[in-house]
Amino acid sequence: MSVGEEETRQRLKAAVHFTVGRLCQKVAEEHHRGFSRQVIAALTETTFRQCDIFAKDLEAFARHAKRSTVTAEDVKLVARRSTALFIYIQNKCDELNQEQNDSKKKSTGKRKSRDTEEESRE
Amino acid sequence: MAEQGAEICFKKDTVSKLLSSFFKEEKTRGELNKHCPDLASNHWKSGDSEGLTVLSHLIVSGDAVLLMAEMLKIFVEEAAARSQKQAKSEDYDQVEIEHFEKILPQLLLDF
Repeated sequence: MSVGEEETRQRLKAAVHFTVGRLCQKVAEEHHRGFSRQVIAALTETTFRQCDIFAKDLEAFARHAKRSTVTAEDVKLVARRSTALFIYIQNKCDELNQEQNDSKKKSTGKRKSRDTEEESRE
Repeated sequence: MAEQGAEICFKKDTVSKLLSSFFKEEKTRGELNKHCPDLASNHWKSGDSEGLTVLSHLIVSGDAVLLMAEMLKIFVEEAAARSQKQAKSEDYDQVEIEHFEKILPQLLLDF
């Protein structure tokens, strides 16, 4: 690995470490029990490596579908192992689509409302 | 669930760069032939005079990045919660590395 790549990797790991720390802080407050620094470091490393696995899976799924873009469908496949997780991700995906549809409706306001009026009459 | 202002999450930018850094985008032809001979003959190829380099130019959609950020957040929260439960069952008042180590195998299997 070149020096530049190693630097990027360290910077990314540091960014992950920051968010992992904050998430652990929140969980610690909820349970009134702190995490040792070693645990947070280990969790950062684990998350980093798990992300590697996720990324390789995403890449494989997109390639298998002969696409050059990784989509939400690929992410849903990655979440397939745990039913609860799969349903959660699916709901999040629907939420995102709903938000997108809502913002589209706002921008094409008048035309859309006229269309739906006609639809309800039929 | 009480929220202290903004919700803690992985930044979209970080997740995007993270995923991209792990993609096996470039491989020389020699390596490819050795490891995955079937890939060498698909449309990902681009040639140059030195030897063939395979570039995938794989990009991640905005939605996929947001969902992956969510996945990572759940991964961390789940690991933290399970470690807490383990520490509680052993009557510790701080979560130590051995608690994390004990929950790690099942966590990785569940994901």
